[in-house]
Amino acid sequence: MTVSEHANSRYDTSMPKVAMGCAAAVVALLVMFSIDVTWVTENFGYEKRTDARVPTFFIRMLFLIGMLAGAFVAFTNLSYYKRNRVALAPWLFLSVGLAFFLIYVIIPIFQSISYSFTKWNGLYDVTGTWTGEWVGFENYRILFGDPNFYTSLYNNVLWLLLFMLAIPIGLGIALFLNQTVTGIRIYKSMFFFPFVISQVVVGLIFSWAYNPEFGLLSEIWGWFFCEQKINIVGNITTSCSVDPPSILGEAKYATYGIIAAGLWPQIAYCMILYLTGLNNVSPDQVEAGRLDGAKGWKMLRHVILPQLRPATFIAVVVTVIGALRSFDMIATMTQGGPFGSTNVLAYYMFDQAVGEGVGRYGYGSSIATILFFIMLIYISYFLWRMYQDEKAER
Amino acid sequence: MYKSLIRATAAASAAALLATSAWASDLVVTFDDLNPAPKKAFEDAVEAFKKANPDINVTVNITDREAHKSSIRNALLNDAPDVITWYPGNRMGPFVDAGLFMDISDMWASDPNLSSKFNAIKATMTRDGKQWGVPYSYYQWGVYYRKDIFDKLGLAEPKTWDEMLGACDKLTEAGVTPFTIGTKYLWTAAGVFDYLNLRTNGYDVHNDLTAGKIKYTDPRIRKTFDNWKVMLERCSPVKNHATMSWQDAIAPFANGDAAMYVMGNFSVAGYKDAGLTEDQIDFFQFPEITPGLARAEEAPADAFFIASKAKNVENAKKFMAFIAQPDIQGEWNKAIGQLPPNSDAAINKDDKFIVEGMATLSTASGLAQFYDRDAPAAMAKAGMEGFQKFMLDPSTLDEVLANLDKVQSEVY
Repeated sequence: MTVSEHANSRYDTSMPKVAMGCAAAVVALLVMFSIDVTWVTENFGYEKRTDARVPTFFIRMLFLIGMLAGAFVAFTNLSYYKRNRVALAPWLFLSVGLAFFLIYVIIPIFQSISYSFTKWNGLYDVTGTWTGEWVGFENYRILFGDPNFYTSLYNNVLWLLLFMLAIPIGLGIALFLNQTVTGIRIYKSMFFFPFVISQVVVGLIFSWAYNPEFGLLSEIWGWFFCEQKINIVGNITTSCSVDPPSILGEAKYATYGIIAAGLWPQIAYCMILYLTGLNNVSPDQVEAGRLDGAKGWKMLRHVILPQLRPATFIAVVVTVIGALRSFDMIATMTQGGPFGSTNVLAYYMFDQAVGEGVGRYGYGSSIATILFFIMLIYISYFLWRMYQDEKAER
Repeated sequence: MYKSLIRATAAASAAALLATSAWASDLVVTFDDLNPAPKKAFEDAVEAFKKANPDINVTVNITDREAHKSSIRNALLNDAPDVITWYPGNRMGPFVDAGLFMDISDMWASDPNLSSKFNAIKATMTRDGKQWGVPYSYYQWGVYYRKDIFDKLGLAEPKTWDEMLGACDKLTEAGVTPFTIGTKYLWTAAGVFDYLNLRTNGYDVHNDLTAGKIKYTDPRIRKTFDNWKVMLERCSPVKNHATMSWQDAIAPFANGDAAMYVMGNFSVAGYKDAGLTEDQIDFFQFPEITPGLARAEEAPADAFFIASKAKNVENAKKFMAFIAQPDIQGEWNKAIGQLPPNSDAAINKDDKFIVEGMATLSTASGLAQFYDRDAPAAMAKAGMEGFQKFMLDPSTLDEVLANLDKVQSEVY
C-alpha cells in the first residue's frame, strides 16, 4: 500500500457502517409508524386511547431519534462526506436548529401569509377539511378601511417614538449613578429593580396606581380636590370637585398610560447598559479632554458619548424590541380598550384571530402580514448595519 | 409486514378485551366549569346517571371555562368526547355549520321532556330548523336595585320607562348615582343595549339585528340609541365604568353610592359577598319602553352537545335524555342558583331572585341569549366596543353606527 493509497482510504465509504446505519434508520422508521395510540393502549395497560397519547408521542420520538442517529452514522461514513468534511460538518450541526426554525418559524410565516387571503373561522369540518374560502385581497381591502387598524398602527408608532425616551433617561440616571459613594451598589440595584419584575406584574402595579377609584394617583388627587362625605345609607363616600383622571378609561390618555408603565423597566435596562458602557470609558481620553478645556456638556457630547456608541446601539435595539413587545402590557392593563383605542398591531391581530373566540383567522393573518413587512424593514436595516460594522472592523 | 403483524396482534388483543367486558360501554363527557359549585352539581348529575346506567363506563373531563373556548376547536376534531358543553344561539353556529355537532332533532321530537317541557328555549337550540343540544341551565337578567335606598326615597319598582327616568332623577337629586356598571370587559354594556333594544323594538327586530338582517343605522335601532342617550343623561352610570370589571362595579352599589345594576342573576352572590343582605337588594324586570310590546327577556343558557365524531352515540343520547329530566334539572340548578330550562323542574322557593326569575322568564314572549351569543363573535366584539365608545361619548353615535354597519357587512 503506497502512501497516497493509504491517504485515500481515509475518504473511502465504509460500506458496513453505512449499511448498518441505513438499516437502523429504516427499522426505526418502520417501528415509529407502526406504533400508534391503539397499540400503546392495548400493550401498556392504558384504559383509554386519550391517556395513551402522551406515552405514544414519546415512544415515537424515541424511534425518530434512533432513525436520525442511524441516518447520521450512514451519512458520515460516506466517502462524499469524508472528502468534504470541513464544508459539510457545520451544516450537519446547524441542521437540527435549521429544521426547527423551518418548522416553527419559516413555514408558519408563509402559512400565515396564505391565510391572509382567505376568510376562515379557524375550524376544520368533521372530515378534517379546511372550512375557509379564498377571498383574494378582500381582507386587505377591509383592513385599509378599518379605523381600528389605523389606531393600532398609530399606537405602534407612538410606542416606538416614546419608548426611545428610555435611552436619554437611562443615560441620565447612569451618569448620575456613575460615582463612588458608599453604598452606590445598593442605589444601582434599586434603580435596576423594575427590570427584574415581570411585565405582567408591572402592568398590574400601574393599573392599580392609575385606578381612579382606589389607586395611588386618585389618592394623591384626593388631597387637593376631594372630600369625604356620608352618603344616603350612611357610608363614607368620596366626592370630588374635579374628578380624578381615569387614565386607562379614557381613549386619549390610555396609550400614554401604558407606555409610561412600559418605560419604567425599559429605563432600568438602558441604565444598566450605559453603566457597563461607562466602566469602559477610557480615563486617558477624559483626562486629555479636560486638559483641552472640555467640561460639562462638551465633555459628554464629544468625549463620553462617542465612546458609548456600542452601548447606545444596543440600547436602541433593545428599546425597539421592547416597544414591539408591548403585547403583555396591553393584555394586562386594558385588553386593547377602551373601545380598541390602545390596540397595537400585535394585540389587534391576536384579538381578531384567537382572542375571545372572535375567530377571524384570515383577517388576523392579514394584520400579521402587514406587521411582518413593517418589522422586515427594521430587521433589514438592523442586519445591514451589523454587516457594515463587521465589514469596517475587518 | 411488520406493521400488519402489529395490527394483527392489536386486533387479537382488542377482541380479547371485548370478550372480557362483554356489556360495558363508554361515555366521555367534557364539562367547562371548574368553579366549586357548578363542578359539584355536574358531578352529582353524573353520579346519578351512573347509578341509573351501571353498565355505562363514564369518563369526565372538566376544563377551565376560558380555556375551553379555544380547546373545543381541537377537541371536536381529534379524539372528540361524546358529549361536550357549549353555548347555544349564534355561538354554536360555527360548529353546527362545520358539521361538528350532531343533529338531535329526533330526540327533540320523541323525548317526553324535550318535546314538551322546553318550549321557551327551543328556538335558541335551533339552527337551520334542527335542534343541536340540550340546555341544562339558564338564568335571568334584569335590574338589581338597592331596596333600602328606594324605600328611603319613597320609590317603587318602576314599571315604565318614564317611571324609571323619574326614579333616576330622584336618586340623582339625593346624591346617588342611578346605575352602576363596569364596562372594562365590554359585555356588560351589551346587556344594557339588549334590554333597551328589546323594549324599544321587540324580540323580532332584535333578533334580526343580531342575525345581520337589519343595519345599525336603521331608524329603529337609532331609536334604541336615542333612548340610551336619555338613559345616559338622566340615569347616569358611575364614572370610570370603563376601568371597572363587573365585580369592581359592585363596590359603589354595595357602598350605597349607586342604586341599580343591569345584570344577570349570577351577580347576586357577589352582592352578598360585598356585605349586602337579602333585604337590601331586590330585582325588577327592565321596564317597558314602547307600550304594548310583547315582553322578551335576556336568558343565556348553557347546554350540552353531542360531537359528530362521538364514538358512543347511543350512550350520549341516553345522557342527554337523562339531564333533560325535571328532577335532575331541578337538583342541578338548585345547587348552582340558576333556573332549570325544563318547565316541570322544581326550583328553590327560598331564593326570591330565583322565584322572581322563573316568573319573569316563564311569561316572556321570547328569550334572547345575550348580544355576544346572538351575534357572531366578530360582530359582537366590534358591537360591544361601539357601545362602550358611545357610553363614554354619546356624540360619537353616527361614527359608531357607521362603523358597525361596515363590520356587519364584512362579518356575515
